[in-house]
Amino acid sequence: MSMGQLLASGAAAVFSPSMFLMVCVAIVLGTVFGALPGVSATMAVALGLTFTYTMQPIPAIVFLTAIYCSSITGGSITAILFKIPGVPSSAPTTFDGYPMAQRGEAGKALGVALLASAFGGLVSAIAMFLLSQPLTAAALQFGPSDLFAVTFLGLSILTCLDSDHILTCIISGLIGLLLACIGQDKMYAVQRLTFGSKQLFAGVEMIPVLIGLFAITEVFNQTNPKKHRMSAEDGVGGGAVNTKMPSLAEILSIKWTLIRCSVVGTVVGILPGAGATIASFMCYTMETKLSKYPEKFGTGIIDGIAASEASNNAATGGAMVPLLSLGIPGGNAAAVMMSALTLKGVQLGPLLLTQQPTYLSATFMSMIVTNILMVIVAMGIAKVFAQILAIPYYYLGPIIVMLALIGSYANQMAIADVQIMVIAGVLGLLVKVCHFNSAAIVLGLVLGSMCEQNFSRAYLMSKANIFAMFSPVQHPIAFVLIIACIALLVSPVVMPLIRKKKA
Amino acid sequence: MFELILNVLLFVFFGWAFFTHVLEAPVPIKVQKNPYALQPDAWPKAIIILLEICLLINIIKIIKKNKGKEDFTLGAFCATIPNFFKSKLFIGIVILTVASFILEPLGFMVTSFLVLCAYGWLLGAKKYGQLVIASVCITFILYIIFSGLLSVNLPRGYGFLRDFALALENIVQSVKNLFGGKKEAADAAETAAVVFNTVRTMIG
Repeated sequence: MSMGQLLASGAAAVFSPSMFLMVCVAIVLGTVFGALPGVSATMAVALGLTFTYTMQPIPAIVFLTAIYCSSITGGSITAILFKIPGVPSSAPTTFDGYPMAQRGEAGKALGVALLASAFGGLVSAIAMFLLSQPLTAAALQFGPSDLFAVTFLGLSILTCLDSDHILTCIISGLIGLLLACIGQDKMYAVQRLTFGSKQLFAGVEMIPVLIGLFAITEVFNQTNPKKHRMSAEDGVGGGAVNTKMPSLAEILSIKWTLIRCSVVGTVVGILPGAGATIASFMCYTMETKLSKYPEKFGTGIIDGIAASEASNNAATGGAMVPLLSLGIPGGNAAAVMMSALTLKGVQLGPLLLTQQPTYLSATFMSMIVTNILMVIVAMGIAKVFAQILAIPYYYLGPIIVMLALIGSYANQMAIADVQIMVIAGVLGLLVKVCHFNSAAIVLGLVLGSMCEQNFSRAYLMSKANIFAMFSPVQHPIAFVLIIACIALLVSPVVMPLIRKKKA
Repeated sequence: MFELILNVLLFVFFGWAFFTHVLEAPVPIKVQKNPYALQPDAWPKAIIILLEICLLINIIKIIKKNKGKEDFTLGAFCATIPNFFKSKLFIGIVILTVASFILEPLGFMVTSFLVLCAYGWLLGAKKYGQLVIASVCITFILYIIFSGLLSVNLPRGYGFLRDFALALENIVQSVKNLFGGKKEAADAAETAAVVFNTVRTMIG
């Protein structure tokens, strides 16, 4: 089948009136599911699965793809408005989104998040359609050494999260890495650092820690009368909720951020084991390093939101590449998609393009249509959510607490997760007092497990020779990435010293 | 001073964990004998060593920075402790800690109502009647969204609270069934009758 025929068959599948309506319904469902804390993209796809049992394969693919893409976008809504990341990949969105909402610029923050999400999604959909085979082949070249180097690159942000407190940022990152070690070791199933607690056998879940560190700490801060707090009569936005969209000039000012993060997000999404969460943290790191004004990141600028949202949505398209062309899911949500498609008789793998090409084109068209329609539909939903900010804080604060509590519990139906969330909330307070960094702890926790597993595998494969793991001959990708990591880690410490000497 | 104390406590805690809790189960002999395998304790131990070095540097930095300051004494720090226990922040932490422990025995409905009321009061709500009504309404809305629509199994509680939660779940299921068809509607009516009787027995 030629490219034109493929496109035509995909368009025919998606542009029928009933299908179009179904995509709209899927976007609404996906956005709302994503916006609710505790309902991850995986859970959103699993919830959407129940609607597809009576559907034919193509409508089922279109419906689930639309839910998958829009749920990642929906996660940004609560991240910006309440500092509760709806999905873990929206955690970096809180760094700049929430300060903007507090300044009364919720509309602009949401607008940037949605546009960036759509852009990232479109870029990755096009990449998936045109470059599915070569991209998969390239991703398969990544061995454990390379994957370790990729995650280590994400960790290199530690030294520039807060240039005034580099040492405490490193300590925070190491605490996060240590938190990721709690529970059974993923390689040999040996119990570590549980301190005898059965609840910690399975490890520390990311979602309760994220919710505790961001949402609960914020509510605690508002409870503390010594801190600058908003009036109890007003909402987060000081009572005034501005839903004004970003201007064209503002969007154009972040065009390179959007392009870079969409490309990197797609590539990270393709890599097995990595996913939208790692993609968003990595791109946020990258943009902090490349920006002309890195000190403004974290204070509420649109660049930070664009980096996080473009990359996490691009990763969704990226994750579809190995899923469709190899039958390997790139992440948990993709694994649920895979089971649904297999249930419908879709044979995922190298033969998909030759034997069932309509499925690939339907997925592509569904992603294109979803990402375009999502801007309009999700903006409507976001505006409704934004009005919540005008609610007095003595109502909104407790609602945030309850949403956080449900979000932590719903993840695994475990009370222990709620207790971990409260501990993380208190930890967030201590972190602030001692100039540690919450983002660094989260970064360590998110990347820790993947970092250790890949290091362990690479160590075994290179027969315990660390230099062979990053040899420029055997592992050129890992070598280049590790050199970049070292340069990035050392530069904030060395550069001021060099400047001092010169002066 | 608090910053110094916390750093010292972390230093001691991680040092203790290094020697006692990094490995809590025997490593399989196959792994032990494999010279190329990264032992399960190697990665966390490496992190703790780095952490201890960084914490030590940080402790020295804090002492150097604050040396000679009047409020940088143990006495000055101890004087602030009673104020913390009287603060709203402490009450907030207590409310959430208690909520995380009563969630299982009292169930979602009661815990949610109590948290919404208590935290609302803490954040400065003055119209108590309104706060109670809002708490009831918000609890029901959250329950319907998460339990009814998203099928999240929220904690039911123990004893009669469990019966109450089951009765509510039956009502939600009945409402769902009403949209299913005549047979389901009949089943729903039957369930509603059972629920009504359960509630009446509970009240009685």
